[in-house]
Formats: sequence, structure tokens, C-alpha cells
Amino acid sequence: MSSYGITRKRANVLPISIGITVFLALSPASWLGWTSDLSDLVRVPVTPFSHVGIMVTSWLRPAVETSDLPTDEKERNELAIAEREYFRQMWSAQMLRATALADQLRELQALPESALRNPLPPMIVPIDVTGRKSSDVASPLELKLVRGTSSRIVEGDIAVIGSDIVGRISRVGLSRAELIPVNHKEIGLTRAAIVSAHPAVNRPPLLAEIILQSSGEHVMFAEVPTTSGVQEGDLVQLDDPSWPSAGAGFTLGVVTRVNQLDEAPLRQRLVVTPRRRARDVSRVIVLGTGETNSEGVVE
Amino acid sequence: MSILVVVIATILALAFDSSFSGLFTLRSVGSITPLAMPCLVVFIALFAPETIALITALILGALVDLSPGYGDLAEGAHLIGPHALGYFLSTFFVLKIRNVVFRRRVFTIAVLTTATVILTGATEALVLLVRGVMPWTPSLQGAGFSDLIKLFGTAIYSGLLAVPLGWCFIATIGVWKFHSPTGRRATWR
Repeated sequence: MSSYGITRKRANVLPISIGITVFLALSPASWLGWTSDLSDLVRVPVTPFSHVGIMVTSWLRPAVETSDLPTDEKERNELAIAEREYFRQMWSAQMLRATALADQLRELQALPESALRNPLPPMIVPIDVTGRKSSDVASPLELKLVRGTSSRIVEGDIAVIGSDIVGRISRVGLSRAELIPVNHKEIGLTRAAIVSAHPAVNRPPLLAEIILQSSGEHVMFAEVPTTSGVQEGDLVQLDDPSWPSAGAGFTLGVVTRVNQLDEAPLRQRLVVTPRRRARDVSRVIVLGTGETNSEGVVE
Repeated sequence: MSILVVVIATILALAFDSSFSGLFTLRSVGSITPLAMPCLVVFIALFAPETIALITALILGALVDLSPGYGDLAEGAHLIGPHALGYFLSTFFVLKIRNVVFRRRVFTIAVLTTATVILTGATEALVLLVRGVMPWTPSLQGAGFSDLIKLFGTAIYSGLLAVPLGWCFIATIGVWKFHSPTGRRATWR
């Protein structure tokens, strides 16, 4: 008889739980901001196991290295490579900047003073990937925040592997950060430049300036004039003032297909595929624009 | 049912789905990846008391909704509901048929895991469709047929994964401290 009462009380829990769940499922996104903090909390016991899992997975099944990337990257010191790539990227950034300045010079016959300044060096922060949804190439990833790094990373910072941009920081939480890949739909439209992968005498260094569209698929899209001379294999480099300046000149992807547009005969549609993806590695480098130290490198 | 064992199994299943599962991802076939959590949900639904199984399914689904990769809303917010309701409905389905199946067979767990993944995917699609109708939510955009094929692929792959996982669960069934409705283990099939 006493157990009858207990059973009835438990039965009431179920409809209430379902009602709350349905309400949450249909609530506006603006009401659900607290779920990111709740996710931080519930992930605390899971993160150590999933961190080990990511490392084991990366060790057992490493990412496929593309032919034009250094193959001995894993054997070298990661920070040294990051710095080397940073200088390489600076060269690309300056090349793009110089091209833009040349255009301005022709029009204004004067160089602006700001053109002589280099971009501010970013803070190079290596961060481990601790969670991901392997079935979705455009889904956000979970990054582990260790002590001292959270203040150095802010939303919008760029994550790179070598000279390739793999995503942007979308949120910095209590114990983890979230990274959205470059092909995530939230990235939207990005200004970029197409440069030749293998410079030749008869090809200009800057082939075209494009607006790159990320729509959540595994590739990105852009359009260029037919006369631009863009070919498969050309590199797409970031040239967007709305992104951190430290990312200018980094590679967003490689042109994998050039299609003629039937509805616009003078334009071509480009399919751009990221060369590296954060989901294939266990660690990424974040170019932090938060607080900085004198060396610009986090240990 | 031992809550401690369920918590440990949940942590391991969540960790598997957000990390180890990448080891089994079929990258050349649309990144089809097996899932461990549906197998756990099916196992609990097969042996736990009804109310506890349903509540556990809701909680496990909510935890999956809070996992990395599922926060597709603005500013990293997570949508709690698609998996929670999907696992709830799947558990409800399993509860209805569990008296007429061979519960202690790995094959049963594998088949029901496949069904659970499909049912959860259908529920997720329904929730997103209903959300798309709401005036405060942008309309739904999906890949259509390719997503459907991927869902079936994931379901079959998860069913295959459920063979070793289900064997582990059944081998450790004593640790879970389930009780049959009649109190007699001899009645379990």
C-alpha cells in the first residue's frame, strides 16, 4: 500500500520532464544561451576521456597529408613550425597588401603611412582538441582551455594548422572553447584572394579577389570572371579585414573545381576545399589576440 | 538499477561518440560514424523498469544534445530536445516490444540499436521541422536525400558496433543490478 503512493509520485515526473524538453526544443535560440554553460559543466567528467580518445584516434588514424605540405611536421617542434609558417604567412600578407597599395598608388600617387606598418604579431597558443562530431565535417569542435590560455583567446580568433586556417573561435567558456570550421555556415561570406600555387612567369601573383561562401557543406564556393585564369590547384588565401589581421595570407583552401556558369557565361564557379581540417588532428594552433607576452608564444 | 554503473557507462559512451568514434569514421562515404549511446539506451530500455528507463533515456538524450558538435545555434547554444525526445520515443518503442523479444541476445540489441538511430533521426527531423514553422526560427535547410542515406548508414554501422558493445553489456548484466518485474531472473529471455 505504501509503495502505491511512491509509484504515483514517480509517474508524475515523466510528463513534466517531457513537457520541459518539448518546450526547450521549440524555444527561440536567444533563450538558450545558458545551454552553452550547462554544456561546459556536463562535459567536465567526459573531457579527460574524450581527450585521450582524440589523441589515440589521431595516433592510430592520422590525417592524410597532402603532397604540398611538409611531411615531417609531426617530428618537428610544433611551436617552431608555427613560427615559420607565421613568417611565411606574413610574406603572403605583405604581398597582398603590396598589391592593394599598388592600386592605391596608381590612383592617389601617395602611400598611406599605415602601409609601412607590419601587422601586430599574434599570440601563438597550441590547444588540444577534446571533442568533435566525427560524422559532420562542418560541426563545431571542442577545445581544451588550460590555465593561462583563456585570457589570451577571444571570440573570432583564428585557428591554424601549419599555414592553413581551420576555423575560428566561436565561444570561450569556463573550461573549454568552441571552434567552428571554415566551412561552417556561421562563417558566411569571407573575402579572399586566389594566388598561384606554383608561381610562373606568365601568371600574375594575384589571380583574383573573391567572396568565399561557407554553407555548412564540406566545400566552399566562389565566383570569378572567366578571364581571371584561375586553375585547379590554386590557393585561396584570406584577405578579409573583418577577420583578425594576423590571419591575412593564411590559406583557406585549394581550388578543386572550376565550372563554367551557364547562366553567366563570363563567370566561373569555383569549388574550394580546405586542405587541412581540425577534426583530423588532435591539436591546433590558435592565433590569440588577447593579452600577450613579450615572446608571443604560450608554453 | 545501479546509478553509478549507468553514470560510468554514460561518460564512456559520450567520450566514445565525441572522440574514439573518429577511428571508425568512413571518410570516403560521407563520414558515416557509429554511435555508442543508442546501444546503451537500448540496453537500459530492455532491462530497466519502465519509468526509470524512460527518464534515463531523456537524460541521456539531453546529454547528447549538449555534446560538442551539436550546438548549432547562435553563440554556441545547444538545442536540447532532438536526441532527448528521440531516445525517449525509442525507449518507449523498445518497452512495448521487449516482452516478445529475446532480450539477452546480442542480435536483438544490434537490431534495436539500428531502429533507435533511425527513430531518433526521424524525431530530430520532426523537431527541426516544427521549429522551422515557428516565426522566431529560420526555416529548415537540409541536404535531403543524402542526409537520409547517411542516417541509414549510421544506423547500420551503429548496429554493427552494438554487437561487441551489446556483448559487453550482457556479460556485465549482474553489475547493473536490474530487477525483472516478477523478481525472477529465470523469466528473462
